[in-house]
Amino acid sequence: MATSRMARSLLYISIFLSFCAVYVKAEYEDKRCICVCPDPSVVNGTKSNRMVYKDAVAPSKCDCDNVVLPKVAPDIRGREREFCPRCECKYESRNSTTIKVVVILVIWIISLLVVYMAFLLCLDPLLNKRRSQPSYQEHTNEEEEAGSVVGGAPGMAHPLPLRPNVLNRVGHQQDKWKRQVQEQRRNIYDRHTMLN
Amino acid sequence: MESRPLTHRGAMNNPLMRPPNYQALSHPTTQQQQQQPSVRYQSSANGVQGKDEEEEEDPILDSPISYNTMESAPPSNQSYVSFAGGSVATNILDSEEQEFPGIGQYDDFHTIDWQRDVARDRMRHRHIIKKREDSIWDWIKSGHDAWSGWVCVFMVGVFAGAVAGTIDIGASWMSDLRFGICPEAFWFNQEQCCWSSNETFYDRDNCSNWKSWPQVFGHEPEGAGAYIISYIFYILWSLLFASLAASLVMMFAPYACGSGIPEIKTILSGFIIRGYLGKWTLLIKSLGMVLAVSAGLSLGKEGPLVHVACCIGNILSYMFPKYGRNEAKKREILSAAAAVGVSVAFGAPIGGVLFSLEEASYYFPLKTLWRSFFAALVAAFVLRSINPFGNEHLVLFYVEYSKPWIFIELLPFILLGVIGGIIGTLFIKLNIKWCRYRKTSLLGQYPRLEVVAVTLLTAFVAYPNPYTRINTSNLIYLLFSQCGVANNDSLCDYQRNFTSANTAIEIAAAGPGVLKAVWLLALALVFKCVVTVFTFGLKVPCGLFIPSLAMGAIIGRLVGIGMEQLAYHNQDWAVFAGECSTGENCITPGLYAMVGAAAVLGGVTRMTVSLVVIMFELTGGVRYIVPLMAAVMASKWIGDAFGKEGIYDAHIILNGYPFLDSKEEFSHTTLAHDVMKPGKSESFYVLTQDSMSLEDVEQLLRETDHNGFPVVVSRQSQYLVGFVARRDLNIAINQAKKNTEGIVGDSTVLFTASVPSPWMGPPPLRLRKILDLAPITITDQTPMETVVDMFRKLGLRQTLVTHNGRLLGIITKKDVLRHIKFLESEDPESVLFN
Repeated sequence: MATSRMARSLLYISIFLSFCAVYVKAEYEDKRCICVCPDPSVVNGTKSNRMVYKDAVAPSKCDCDNVVLPKVAPDIRGREREFCPRCECKYESRNSTTIKVVVILVIWIISLLVVYMAFLLCLDPLLNKRRSQPSYQEHTNEEEEAGSVVGGAPGMAHPLPLRPNVLNRVGHQQDKWKRQVQEQRRNIYDRHTMLN
Repeated sequence: MESRPLTHRGAMNNPLMRPPNYQALSHPTTQQQQQQPSVRYQSSANGVQGKDEEEEEDPILDSPISYNTMESAPPSNQSYVSFAGGSVATNILDSEEQEFPGIGQYDDFHTIDWQRDVARDRMRHRHIIKKREDSIWDWIKSGHDAWSGWVCVFMVGVFAGAVAGTIDIGASWMSDLRFGICPEAFWFNQEQCCWSSNETFYDRDNCSNWKSWPQVFGHEPEGAGAYIISYIFYILWSLLFASLAASLVMMFAPYACGSGIPEIKTILSGFIIRGYLGKWTLLIKSLGMVLAVSAGLSLGKEGPLVHVACCIGNILSYMFPKYGRNEAKKREILSAAAAVGVSVAFGAPIGGVLFSLEEASYYFPLKTLWRSFFAALVAAFVLRSINPFGNEHLVLFYVEYSKPWIFIELLPFILLGVIGGIIGTLFIKLNIKWCRYRKTSLLGQYPRLEVVAVTLLTAFVAYPNPYTRINTSNLIYLLFSQCGVANNDSLCDYQRNFTSANTAIEIAAAGPGVLKAVWLLALALVFKCVVTVFTFGLKVPCGLFIPSLAMGAIIGRLVGIGMEQLAYHNQDWAVFAGECSTGENCITPGLYAMVGAAAVLGGVTRMTVSLVVIMFELTGGVRYIVPLMAAVMASKWIGDAFGKEGIYDAHIILNGYPFLDSKEEFSHTTLAHDVMKPGKSESFYVLTQDSMSLEDVEQLLRETDHNGFPVVVSRQSQYLVGFVARRDLNIAINQAKKNTEGIVGDSTVLFTASVPSPWMGPPPLRLRKILDLAPITITDQTPMETVVDMFRKLGLRQTLVTHNGRLLGIITKKDVLRHIKFLESEDPESVLFN
């Protein structure tokens, strides 16, 4: 249940973010033509660094004539035919809204997980001190819920009949999940039987 | 890899299917008892089609008396039909025998029985076809059933594409965070930050919008002080990301660590690892990948993407009971998901399908091939529309070559293949040695500390060298690309005359910049080789494709520069005369980098076809298939000569996963009798079909831990009736106790189709529904070669051994694997198995 709770909160966050994204108009230019050319002084014989020229133009106009020449015209004075073949122009596009939403979402999820990790490490042991240490129960199918868990497995869990209380159910699911993770940890970090 | 004949029951030489022999075999003392079974055997001899009619014929044998107490059992509301049960709802027996939900599932770390699952699916399918005529709703349901496979892989494609796009964007932003930040829009990486700045000076995409860490703290952007601040920030961020990744993995989903491909291979071959493809693993692996790549560790996100795609496939398959409830069918979806993973990792849909076929999958029928094709297409389309790199391509290092290659270049290509094979083999050996050391020594006790230590070392050594400082994907892109006008790296510092007129870039002598770059690249190569050995196997999500590609690309680029200079200085040589004498640039070092990358990756993973297709989908040109093929083939030959298995198989062996490799041949002369359990002086546990009480059965279940029991006619005769799995037996007994009145310890457990007519005593427990009536049997003189072949091709879980028609013993997959290990003089106990 911890998973679904997490998933639900993530869902809300993502809905919220996407609303933000829709209402905040794209403030950033998402299309560009980028031309990389030598320094205009190249035509005068001295070799130098590359220069970058960026402009937002239509894809069909993404070439040296439309992007670079207007900016460097005074420097090369009629030797355009020599200069332009040395330029490389590329049309690029991006979606800055997607980037924003994705990056913020990643930051959110990581912070949520860190907070939850801190909670599990610090607070949870204090809260759960009274509860007895549950023994491990073999992983069952994700679909099979607690009700249909099959007997015969060692440590048939929870003889105490919990009332169909939401809080209890959540706690029960969380316990089940925790036991599974604990078993995974034992396999990998202690017994080294897997994923070495 | 090959499709298995599904109608095995007709094809196999099952002694039980020859009723005429049966009479000759029958024991004189048990003649009476066997009269009835012999009829039943005949009916099951009708073969597969006879299966569901069988129970309809049986009422002839059935006694008129039915147990009213049994009818009080609540009707089961399951939506599928259990295996051995009849599929006909109007069946008379259905009212007497209850169905047991949950039959046909498996426990953790068990191997699946493909035959049984496929038979179960066939039953379910037949049931749906039969019911289709009944109502419009059933007709819709059958339609939904028919297309659910396609819908499922479509959804897998969509979700995997979206997740891959998220990971790409997140990783590119986070790895630039180590260098600086974009204050006006913190979610942009360096290139996005300078997207439309008007500055024209070219300095590695730098612009005033982007603030490096020294600038953020008000320091000058240049100078020794700035260098030290940048260095410290680089290390600190790397440590933060790596320790976060390791902690998240340890805390929430330990199964998310590593590459995942060895485990996926094992799972696809029919093994159950519960939780390995779960929700938490998906979430943590995706995030852990972003963090680990951003930490600058020598690892890639391509292998883990296969695992992530398989997690998505597994989670989505639960929405379709046809796949979610049937492990063998689920593996069809997982095979398609593996293809999707590679498709989005490399932007190579066809390469992904071939990867699934060649490397990942075990059972790959044409149907799965088409679904993989479709899913890979969908995923590539989704990723393309997200456009994570802003270059209209699915990978960062997409390059386009147009130059033809000349014949003499085949020699260096093959040389690259040889180098790749040697490096690959060395890498596998060293990495396995290190992983074994980690497994057995004290080092394994401190997984997080190890991650932090390796990160610290990597970041400390990587920063001074500009080629290791940048992201590995960027490095590969740099090495793959040609030296054009746009390339300002010192790698392209040739003594070219820029003033001459509009000619193409010509071949030129290397300038001092190239020489410096060659030295730095050589150092980077050594660093990458060493550090990757220690990185692969850390307890964070880590893939192997990108580091291997980087190593190979460095080697290839170095060889390419050498060839280029050789051609420049010896333009009069006959081999170069045709193409290079005109001053045209006839050698492309970028192409060498690509061939070298393919060679090393081929040496590490031992893939062939899929690797070549992936590489040429990366370049978008079919012209370079022959060079790539030559290099990959040479690499595979050299690799196979020095070490038998690729890195994934080596890790499967290291972990002892129960993977029955279909590549290797079994060439020993042992017989089934030598492998069979019980061996000498061991007892053999069987159930009898109509003479054991519930108490006896429960005692047997308590005292033994076998995963299944053969059912025989009687202890004296040992004639085989069928096979029942332990898990199914447990479920059935528990539910019968709960749901049926009158079941006590003394109740007889009946596996027969009918109840003998005057029945005394407590009501019997009828378990024919869970009985597998068509277990595969062999004789004790069958050569193990045949047995191993049967296990591989039919996907068996166990086979029963008979002698003179009587049950003698059992061979399980575990026994076969242990036997193979034993013959190869390895430790047979290392097989991970329950």
